Amino acid sequence: MQYENRQPTDGINVTKTRPLVQFVQLGVAAAVLIVLLVVVLQVSGGWVAKRVPFSFELRVMQELDVDFGHNSEHPQMAAYLNELAQKVSLNMELPDTFEFTVHYNNQDVFNAFATIGGNLMFYKGLLEDMPNENTLAMVMAHEIAHVVHRDPVASLGGGVASTLALLALTGSTGSNMAGSVLSNAGTVTSMQFTRGMEQSADETAVAAMYNVYGHLNGAAQLFKLFSDARGPESQGSKLLEGFLSTHPLDENRVLAVQERAGLEGWSLEGELTALPEGFASWL
Amino acid sequence: MNSVLIQAGLAVGLLILGYLFGTIAEKRHYKKIRQREASSAHLPVIASRYPPEDRIYEQRLVRGEVVISSDYFKGFLAGLVNFFGGRVTPFESLLDRARREAILRMKERASEQGAAYVFNIKFDTTRIATGRLAAMEVLAYGTAMVPSAETGPTLDDAVGGMLLNNSDAMTTNTQI
Repeated sequence: MQYENRQPTDGINVTKTRPLVQFVQLGVAAAVLIVLLVVVLQVSGGWVAKRVPFSFELRVMQELDVDFGHNSEHPQMAAYLNELAQKVSLNMELPDTFEFTVHYNNQDVFNAFATIGGNLMFYKGLLEDMPNENTLAMVMAHEIAHVVHRDPVASLGGGVASTLALLALTGSTGSNMAGSVLSNAGTVTSMQFTRGMEQSADETAVAAMYNVYGHLNGAAQLFKLFSDARGPESQGSKLLEGFLSTHPLDENRVLAVQERAGLEGWSLEGELTALPEGFASWL
Repeated sequence: MNSVLIQAGLAVGLLILGYLFGTIAEKRHYKKIRQREASSAHLPVIASRYPPEDRIYEQRLVRGEVVISSDYFKGFLAGLVNFFGGRVTPFESLLDRARREAILRMKERASEQGAAYVFNIKFDTTRIATGRLAAMEVLAYGTAMVPSAETGPTLDDAVGGMLLNNSDAMTTNTQI
């Protein structure tokens, strides 16, 4: 008997494809789907979370007993910030259900943020650059507006919903998945508000500023301080940031304040209130 | 924002490197596979379990193993295909290369022992990597039929002297 191996035609077991074309097609399709999914889940998760009563937020934060800042080491600063929050919030026509607690953090970070349970965090890095009470009140009113608009809880709800969906898609399961959701939820709650949320918080804050001081002097100064803190940037990186950043560009926020003032007939000039004596020593 | 850009840049860089090196490695490997298949064509590899009965053969187990890994680009593309479903074409060439290489290595072992045929060839494929890395082992094994010199016609009669003359050239080790 004769045996032989005839070589089959080369490549019959491999489909002829163009991997780069396939990569671009599938990559674009996946990116579009994921973006759509995240947007839908962010919005719907946020919508559901906003229906949770504020009292529930307060209870959850009490149970968690999170250690936010260094209020006990800086009692004067903590007292002043909480008084200012009271003063600002009383001029914002809020329902009685809202409560705010301001926390001072002595880290050198140029930031302030609002998170669930009406907790506001102010960093030393931001406070030491405040030129007057009006500008500080603008930050305070902006963060209070986030809480009143329920932005932190909406962001948490949307963030958890989209993180869960993405993890399910990427194949993480069981304990891994739970761990990732929990670790991501922390970052999501503290910062990630959408640009729309920021604009809306600015609008509410500007109205509060007028109610407290009778003019808007000092409000726009805040955004100039943000610009200075960020340092000079090239036109290219500015364009990129305008696209990627969750906050509107500083120039646009200054313009928005001026436009609002023009529309409502609110003055941009007026006497500035100084920060209390000893403010620098409380830091 | 900078860290996002760095991460994205790193991923794109890895994809480009994976594509370039993966493509070059695959082309080189296929070239060597074709050359070695042509030079070892005289040793038939048969799937049948029933060996020829024309003479007496010694039967020996021969095997050829390959561990092969995908590159970053193939792995990423396969991940995208997994998302939408369909044929995972990026891995087809990987498995094709691994199987052909495993047969070639098995034939080299058989040639070293002076076999005239390899019968009853089988494959075994095992995934050996965990996580995102796609790496697999392919094992080809069969029964080498070595003509017995004492009890029948000589080896030269059986395969025309081809086998011993070419055996040195065929046992060259090849890396993927």
